Amino acid sequence: MAARLRTALLHPGVPRELHARTRVGWWAWALQRVTGVVLVAYLLVHVCVISTSILGVAAFDSTLGFVQHPVFEALNIGLIAIVLYHTFNGVRVVLFDVGIGIRRQAAGFWTCVALTALGAGASFVLSAPLIFM
Amino acid sequence: MDSRSFQSSAHPGPSALDARPARGEQGFWLWFLQRVSGVLLLFFVLAHGAITHFAPIGDVRAGLQEHPVTHEVVERRLAQGIMLAFDFALLGLALYHGLNGIRNILMEWSFTARHKTAVTAVLHSVGLGAFVLGAAGLLAFVL
Repeated sequence: MAARLRTALLHPGVPRELHARTRVGWWAWALQRVTGVVLVAYLLVHVCVISTSILGVAAFDSTLGFVQHPVFEALNIGLIAIVLYHTFNGVRVVLFDVGIGIRRQAAGFWTCVALTALGAGASFVLSAPLIFM
Repeated sequence: MDSRSFQSSAHPGPSALDARPARGEQGFWLWFLQRVSGVLLLFFVLAHGAITHFAPIGDVRAGLQEHPVTHEVVERRLAQGIMLAFDFALLGLALYHGLNGIRNILMEWSFTARHKTAVTAVLHSVGLGAFVLGAAGLLAFVL
């Protein structure tokens, strides 16, 4: 199972022995995929939750009241971290396309991680009133 | 594939350079639109979070509303045409970018790659269904 998962995640075009040398880049890429899949799942649930407005004011407010419980507000910081990583690494990849940052891709990855941690930390501080109600 | 291109420890990883189709090659426009929608979403998603989640926290603290998102608040916001247009654009862009990303992953797996037409049809259906549901949800605030 672990081996199959690893094969499924590894890019089929890249020889396995080369992954050791491109480890940081591989993690950046794998994280981009995992965060992307999580965000699509979230998006579909999010659309369903917001669309309870079709059922009326009471249905919308009770559903939104549930998903804005302090526990979900705490989990929201995780969502924000996922969005931020996918955003920053997306910028890193687009910059590669125009020839910027390829040689310093590992430093670029760590910059993305640092910016994500910074943004998630700031979001936690700002959202604290909603989490510790 | 030229294995020498991997000799440098500076290789950015599998996705960035290997999966990029040249102009005129099959898949170029899908790849290009994925980049364009991604860059637009950078601004749209961050603005969406700032507007819907962070901006109302002050009013929640002041006791003016129970949560950042309530029907009353969203109704007032979407009464502005520009915010309604913004949400429609965000809905479409996010669904396109997300489902096209899923398609990119599925096209690398042999089973789903063999059933390209069916996979694409399923993803189109999911995208269209979610867009219609989301659009109905948004319009319910203004109609």
